[in-house]
Amino acid sequence: MSETFHEFVVQRSPALSRTAYLLTGDHQHAEDLLQSALARTYRHWRRIHDGDPEAYVRRVMYHQQVSWWRRRRVAERLDATPVERGGGDHTEDTALRLSVVAALGRLTARQRAVVVLRYYEDLTEAQVAEVLGCSVGTVKRHGHDAVRRLRDLVPDLWEPTPERSGR
Amino acid sequence: MSVRLREALREAAAEVPAYPVHDRAVRTARRTRRRMAAAVAAVLVLVALVPVAARGGDRPSIAPAGVDGPALPDRIGLPPFGSLHATDRPRLGPAALIFSGQARGLTGLIDEDGTVGIVGADADRYRTWTVGFEAPAGEQVLLSPDGRRIAVPAGSPGHPGIDLVDLVDGTVRHLASPRPGSSLTRPAGWAPDGSALVVRDTTAANPEGSAYVDTLSLVRLDTGRAVRLLETDQLPIFGAPVAFTADGSRLAFQVGDKVLVTGTDGRQVTSFPLPPESGLAGKGAWLPDGSLALVSRDPDTTRWRLRRVDPASGRDLGVLALPAVDGVTTIRLLGWWPDGSALVVGYRPDPDSPERFDGPVDMDQRTVYPNVQTVRVLGLTPGAATPTTLLTAPDQVLAIDVADAVVRAGRVRAADPPSGPGGRFWWAAGAAALVLGGLVAARLLRRRRVTRGRAPRG
Repeated sequence: MSETFHEFVVQRSPALSRTAYLLTGDHQHAEDLLQSALARTYRHWRRIHDGDPEAYVRRVMYHQQVSWWRRRRVAERLDATPVERGGGDHTEDTALRLSVVAALGRLTARQRAVVVLRYYEDLTEAQVAEVLGCSVGTVKRHGHDAVRRLRDLVPDLWEPTPERSGR
Repeated sequence: MSVRLREALREAAAEVPAYPVHDRAVRTARRTRRRMAAAVAAVLVLVALVPVAARGGDRPSIAPAGVDGPALPDRIGLPPFGSLHATDRPRLGPAALIFSGQARGLTGLIDEDGTVGIVGADADRYRTWTVGFEAPAGEQVLLSPDGRRIAVPAGSPGHPGIDLVDLVDGTVRHLASPRPGSSLTRPAGWAPDGSALVVRDTTAANPEGSAYVDTLSLVRLDTGRAVRLLETDQLPIFGAPVAFTADGSRLAFQVGDKVLVTGTDGRQVTSFPLPPESGLAGKGAWLPDGSLALVSRDPDTTRWRLRRVDPASGRDLGVLALPAVDGVTTIRLLGWWPDGSALVVGYRPDPDSPERFDGPVDMDQRTVYPNVQTVRVLGLTPGAATPTTLLTAPDQVLAIDVADAVVRAGRVRAADPPSGPGGRFWWAAGAAALVLGGLVAARLLRRRRVTRGRAPRG
């Protein structure tokens, strides 16, 4: 059992690490999140390894992240102050990437999960609702709120800079 | 816009390294498994221990009379927190004694709820029974001669009665008041064979309730038939105590400053006035020679003695050749030890009481809770210079009644009152552990179902 689990982790941990990072916006938290999800997966490996263990891990991560966020009672930042752009020595894409990561950190855990599932995992709203265990309406609301806030925080996502549009 | 967001997310994720969490995840999982296993084991052990603890270890569930028969414990303790009730399983069996007072475990948290402690006949198994108000053992709560039942005032002012709590089979039989219109019914004495109970009633004499009458009745427990022994205007001392002859054919009781002797048919045989500072000795007042024992106080002292009187005339037959009891508010005669010793309850005065017990105080006031600090059961052996202390009790244990069977047995056993929580506590703890275990199991089950049912696609 340990061998198979080990193979699974070796093969899938890069992708799972990326998702974890997007969900937390912090490498340390992402590592903890992935470790916690994999530990739980290991405990139930016998039951889930014949199915879709990666989906199980992702689902655990989404729920764990929301749970941690609740437990830490992270103050929800409702201000719409645009996040700082990436450092001046970065390219425009790098700067935008850093801004997006910073902006994700200002969303609630649920909003961030919706954004990652919708725009990174490319799931439909119905699929997101199924993963998060909520209604489609709730997904729509979180998605709407998240996009609205991202628009305020990172206007470049919707308003291409002249340099970029000029390329 | 979503295209740029998608691109930005993918670019942000592209440079994320694969976190090396495999080993730590496995260690965490194994640690969690060990903890869960330990928690489940702890719950199972706790649940398994509950019946054992409630049963009191390997003691038998019902104590008939024990190997050596009933015996008087040499000390009593307070009922443990969460003690089993008189009707709880495992049944107590016959009791050696009952006690009451204002110590911890005998009162409610806020108000006086009159809990009576019950001690098994042959072992230190404790039970309790809550009367709901102050009811001194031996005066208003009475243990039957064989120790099997306790008679407890019960009911409401509109429907007063007496509950007969059977300690062997756990049943409670309600005995309605034999006096129509009664507002208060209390037991006053058991017939020697336990077949009848003397009952005191207080009844309003007029619709306004400005005056009351006291009624004493003898109620046969098999037929429920009641014989009225006496009814008078309300008196401070009425039918307390009641003493049956050994054959149960006659009974003596005190009414005011008189002693009355009647047959069980209610026919009055005789009555005589009591000397000052004396009273009918107690439920053991009949002596084998047919005379009656009184308790009397030496003038200007707190020293009490037993003396004999002729039940026909009340003529004083002299002080019994038994040691006097000093330093008490009064004594009450429980009965006679096989060696001829008198078994009495000594009431030690409360130092904070405003009464002076070396002076005249009404007999009924000498045993009220505020005037007493604790009780002792004493043996008054013929020829001995001083009483022998047979049973001690904690402070604020203020009243006690001992079964006639224990008195007749004439044995004292070394007691070891229970400590730690009682059986009800362990049952509650076991139930809480079960509920907790159930909640944990349900949570795990729910998690498992949710995980199975909502696995992400792709």
